[in-house]
Amino acid sequence: MSRFWRRQLRWIIAGMVLLLLPHFLPEIRVHLAIEILVFALFAVGFNLVFGYGGQLPFGHAALFGVGGYGTALILNHYPQTPLLLVLLIAALLGFLAAIVIGFFCVRLTGAYFALTSLAFQMFLYAVALKWRTLTNGDDGMGVTRPAVHLPVFGSISLANITNIYYFILILVALGILACYLFLKTPLGNSVITVREKDTRASFLGYNVFLTKLTVFSASGILVGLAGGLFVLYEEFVATTCIDNNMSMTPVLMTVIGGPGHFLGPVLGATFYMILQDWISSVTSYWMVLMGFVFIAIVLYAEGGLINLLKMENIRGWLHRGGK
Amino acid sequence: MGYSIEVYLIQAMHGLVYGMLLFLVTSGLTLVFGMMGVLNLAHACFYMLGAYFAYTITLHLGSFWWSLLICPLIVGALGIFIERFLLRKAYKGGHLLQLLLTFGLFFIITELVRLIWGSSPLSVPPPKIFAGDITVAGMTYPTYRLFIFGFSFLVLFAMTLLLMRTRIGIIIRAAVLDADMVEVLGSNVPKVFMSVFGGGAALAGVAGVIAAPFLSIYLGMGNEVLLDCFVVIVVGGFGSLLGAFIASLMIGELQSFGILWIPRLALVFQFLLMAVVFIVRPTGLFGEKE
Repeated sequence: MSRFWRRQLRWIIAGMVLLLLPHFLPEIRVHLAIEILVFALFAVGFNLVFGYGGQLPFGHAALFGVGGYGTALILNHYPQTPLLLVLLIAALLGFLAAIVIGFFCVRLTGAYFALTSLAFQMFLYAVALKWRTLTNGDDGMGVTRPAVHLPVFGSISLANITNIYYFILILVALGILACYLFLKTPLGNSVITVREKDTRASFLGYNVFLTKLTVFSASGILVGLAGGLFVLYEEFVATTCIDNNMSMTPVLMTVIGGPGHFLGPVLGATFYMILQDWISSVTSYWMVLMGFVFIAIVLYAEGGLINLLKMENIRGWLHRGGK
Repeated sequence: MGYSIEVYLIQAMHGLVYGMLLFLVTSGLTLVFGMMGVLNLAHACFYMLGAYFAYTITLHLGSFWWSLLICPLIVGALGIFIERFLLRKAYKGGHLLQLLLTFGLFFIITELVRLIWGSSPLSVPPPKIFAGDITVAGMTYPTYRLFIFGFSFLVLFAMTLLLMRTRIGIIIRAAVLDADMVEVLGSNVPKVFMSVFGGGAALAGVAGVIAAPFLSIYLGMGNEVLLDCFVVIVVGGFGSLLGAFIASLMIGELQSFGILWIPRLALVFQFLLMAVVFIVRPTGLFGEKE
């Protein structure tokens, strides 16, 4: 076996496990796995701005909710639209919302950035809550999950759990892969340059504002798609998709998992969802416990869980990312 | 828009009352921000805790006045504890670390409140003396709101005296300008930080207690007041108490008249104001440093 394949071995194993998952897990665990996938995509998108961009957005549920509501509205009002097109529009809506929000936010830093993005999310939440004729307020809207039409395979029903699992797995994997490849481009590198020292980057000729806006809107694409997938899977959309708790979720996941590593948010989402599933069946204290895990990690394990798994890779991202 | 002059007056009064309340919360936040450079997201929790403690204490001791006396002490002590054992670790870290830490605190405190008091809204009856309405020149106005106004004014007056006329006030004001220099000149700055933090928390607690009979007590109140405080700080300017005062009154009036004219978009007005200030004067009305 060549060196290349030996290096890729763990990814191949991980891929196999993910592909075989619905065949050896009971159905209720597959539901959990789907949620993990959707939130992994959400957290990876969030981490583009947080870990790579060095800014903490507190209002990412705005983008998630825009994707989710967009999906629900299109599916309800134009049921004939092909599903992949609907999800593409969800991603596009996330992108557009991110451009608008980012335009106002990315000039700011620190708490100003965080709270201004939160303000936008609160505003959109208020719209979703008050504009009852469109969104049905906090009662939410049911959504029918349509079949997906593919060129070679024909029409595939997503009603059964295995099919929806594979459908979401493929789209999430594509989203995360696209994000990975984006970060490998020169543009992706300039994001890190700007995070490290934006004045120096601007002396070197980088357009700091545009770079920050680009990374924010790229994040919007992934988060909008995640919102669309979430609504498609839940077959329901309500203001919980766009409220403060939804904004806090990726913050918790990413910090717990480790924002300094590309796959940290994925690990964080997995840990968060499994812990939620496990503890909330035992006690209602789980959010408090999650809060304590969060603070412990912020204070004592800056790189998150992924660094605890890989001690030699401590990178002190907070000292660099925070300045 | 055909409202009589009385409606406008009453609405202006409402705005003033809420503005004063907001200033009680924001003053601590602004001072801490000015001195330590930490925007403490958990500050809004002190306000929320004040209100929830007021509920429990009024329920058990039977008098609102007890809660007005006890709550600020509890909340202030909690503030000192948090400063001493958690935030002190974060001053040297970057902004992200401080934001994450205070966010974690906000999260934990909100969840603990949910566990202890449940998620449904609670209410506290106003004290008996201030339960009724008062009629002045043909206008009726709830007495309790006048009490809020008067009481906040007293607190504000005491705070101004403390800051402007005492030695500790001079040290605090100097530390806002340059904490390192004050430390070099021989003041125990960490101790000053701690007491300012505790004092700010206690003030937010006071605001929570007096808000309790006036607004209902619910889980989202921390979040809501946090955003209002943030708008106040942006509009008023970094670490400026005078700015925070004027901005608080502006936000209070803006909300009050926003609800009167365009109830659905009441939330939008303050963000519009914030956006305008961002564009016209990014340092805020009275801010000097970025």
